[in-house]
Amino acid sequence: MRREEMTYLEAIRDGLRHALRDDPRVVVFGEDVGRFGGAFKLTAGLQEEFGEERVFDTPVSESAILGGAVGMGLCGLLPVAELQFVDFGMTAFHQILANAGTTYYRTANPVPITVRAPCGGGFGGGPFHSEDLEALFSHVPGVKVVYPAFPSDARGLIYSAIFDPNPVIFLENKYLYRRVKQLLSEQFEPEDLGAARVCRDGDDAVVITYGAMVHEALQAADELTAEQGYDVMVLDLRTLKPYDRDAVLAAAAATNRVMVVHEAWRTCGYGAEIVAFVAEQVFHLLDAPPVRVTAPDVPIPFAPSLEAAYRPSVGKIKRELLNLIEY
Amino acid sequence: MLLARRTEERLIRLYHQGRIFGGVYAGIGQEAIGAATTLNSRPEDLFSPLIRDMTVHIGRGETVLNIFRQYLGRATGPTGGRDGNVHYGNLSLGVLTMVSHLGAMLPVIVGAVIARRRRGSESIGFAYFGDGASSTGDFHEALNFASVMDVPVVFVLENNQYAYSTPVSRQYRCRNLADRAVGYGMEGYRVDGNDAVGLYLFVQRLSRKIRHEARPVLLECETMRMRGHGEHDDFSYVPKSLLRKFSRRDPIVRAVKTLVEAGVISEEDFSALDGECRQEVDRAYRRALAEPEPDPATLEEGVYAPRGNDLS
Repeated sequence: MRREEMTYLEAIRDGLRHALRDDPRVVVFGEDVGRFGGAFKLTAGLQEEFGEERVFDTPVSESAILGGAVGMGLCGLLPVAELQFVDFGMTAFHQILANAGTTYYRTANPVPITVRAPCGGGFGGGPFHSEDLEALFSHVPGVKVVYPAFPSDARGLIYSAIFDPNPVIFLENKYLYRRVKQLLSEQFEPEDLGAARVCRDGDDAVVITYGAMVHEALQAADELTAEQGYDVMVLDLRTLKPYDRDAVLAAAAATNRVMVVHEAWRTCGYGAEIVAFVAEQVFHLLDAPPVRVTAPDVPIPFAPSLEAAYRPSVGKIKRELLNLIEY
Repeated sequence: MLLARRTEERLIRLYHQGRIFGGVYAGIGQEAIGAATTLNSRPEDLFSPLIRDMTVHIGRGETVLNIFRQYLGRATGPTGGRDGNVHYGNLSLGVLTMVSHLGAMLPVIVGAVIARRRRGSESIGFAYFGDGASSTGDFHEALNFASVMDVPVVFVLENNQYAYSTPVSRQYRCRNLADRAVGYGMEGYRVDGNDAVGLYLFVQRLSRKIRHEARPVLLECETMRMRGHGEHDDFSYVPKSLLRKFSRRDPIVRAVKTLVEAGVISEEDFSALDGECRQEVDRAYRRALAEPEPDPATLEEGVYAPRGNDLS
C-alpha cells in the first residue's frame, strides 16, 4: 500500500477530506477556511475539491459559528466548525456550555457537531493566540474533548469525532502542526474516542499527558534512560473527556509513581482531575506523592525568554521525574 | 390563542397556590404573534420560541398535556423532567428547545434552517425574541450571519416594553428596533403585535416572499407583557396606565371582535370554544399530575448519545 509522509496538520486535513468524501452531510466552515484555506492553511484545497456548499467562509462571529453548528447538527448535517484560535472561542463559550452540552440530555436529540480549535504556544503567539483551554471544555457535561499528539491519531480521531453523535471539541496543537510527521497509508481505521495509548513502556514512573507535551515527555524519558537507566512510561490520553480511566489506573498500578504534564495553567487545570482520580482510586499503590508539571498561573508571555520559562520543558520534566523516582 | 391563554391562567393559579415546582413565565397579551406566524407555516419550517411563546408550541401541534407534564417535571414530558417550564420543544414539529441565555438560540435556528435547506427542503425559520435579547451580541451575530449566508429566517422581535424590570428606554436609543434591519442589509417591518388577524395577513405575504427569495427579515411586533417577568414578580414598576392601554388591545378580544364582525364566527361559537379549552386544560392538568416523576436512578443516563444513534 502506498504510504505518504504527513505532518500533523496534513493528517487532520486528510481526515477532513475522507469525511467529506464519505458523507455528503459533512460541512466544514469557519473564518477564512474556504478559498484562503484557513489561517494555518489546514483546509487548503478542500473548497476547491468539495465546493462552496460544503466548505465555506463565515463572518467573524464565533457565536454564530458555534450556535449555527448546533442548529446544523440538530437538523441533519454533520458540521465541522473551525475556531481560528481556541482563544477566540471564549466569546461564544455559552454555545458549548448551554446549547451543545445540554441539548441531548434535555431533549434526546443528538448534536453531532465537531469544533476544531488550534491551541497551545511555543511560537511567540503571546497571551491571546497560545491558550490551552482543555480544562474549561472538559468541565462541561455532554461534550467530548479530544487532543491528539500524533498525525495518525489526529487523522483517525478527527474522522471519528465527525461521525460521533455528540459535540466533540477537537483540540489541535499548533506547535505540532508542521513539526511532527509520520508515514501514513492512504486508507486508515478511525480511532476510538475515549481510548488512551501507552506510547512508551516503563515501570519506574508514568507521565500522563496529551498534545504537545507527549513529545516533551517522550524525549525526557529517553534521556533519563540513556543517562540514568530509568524506564518511564508515557501514557497519551488522546481523549480528555470522557477519559480512559482504566488506562490511567493501570498505568498508576504498574509504576506506583504518577506525574501529569500539561501546557495549560496549574490551578484547576486538567492535571488536577487526573491526580485527584488516581489519589481517590489507588492511593494505597502510590510510592510517592503525584506530581504536576504545568505552566504557572500567569498570562502567557510573549518574549522567547519568558515563554520558555512559562512552558514545561524536557529539562523540567526530567528534573521532576528524577525527584519522583528517587523520592 | 385561547387554549394558550387558558393554560397559562391555570399555570398562574397553580403557581400562586404553591402547586408548581419552579417558575411560571406567562405570555399573556402576546398570543397573537405565535398564532399568526405558526398558522402561516409549513410542516418543514423551523421555530425557536422563547419565554412567552406558548402559542408557537400549540400552533405547531404541541399538546396541553405535554405542557403540563413539562411544568410539573414529569418523566413523561418533553424533557422528561430534565428541564422545566418554558424550556421545551419538539423537533418533529420543527420546534427547537430554548436555553435561557437571551439571544443564544438565534444562531442555532439560522444553522438549523441552513441544514434543512441543504438537505433539499424549502424550510424557513421563525426566531422569537424580545427587546431585551436585541441588546445581546448573539442578536447581531445571528442577523448578520443570516444575511451574509442568505438564510430565510423571520426574526420575530416581540417588543413587549420590558426586559424583566428594564423599560425599552433603558434598552435602546434607536427610534424603532426594526430600523436596525438596514444595518444588516435586510428588510425590517414594525407591526401591531396585538392584531392577530392583521398580523396573520401580513405574515402570509412575508413568509411567501422570504421562502421564495431566501432572505432573512426583521419583524418587530409591538406588544405588551401583561404580567411580571415571572409570577414571582409583581411588576409594580410597570405604570398602570400602560397596562390599561394594552388591556384595551387584548389580542384575543380583538380577534374575536374582528371575526364576529366579519361573520366568520359567532359569539356562541366563541363561548363553545372557550368551554372546550377550559375542559382540555382541566383534563390535561389532572392527567399530568397523576403521572410519575423521573426516577432518580436515571440521573446520569443520556448525557451522551450512544453510537449508532440515527443521525439522519
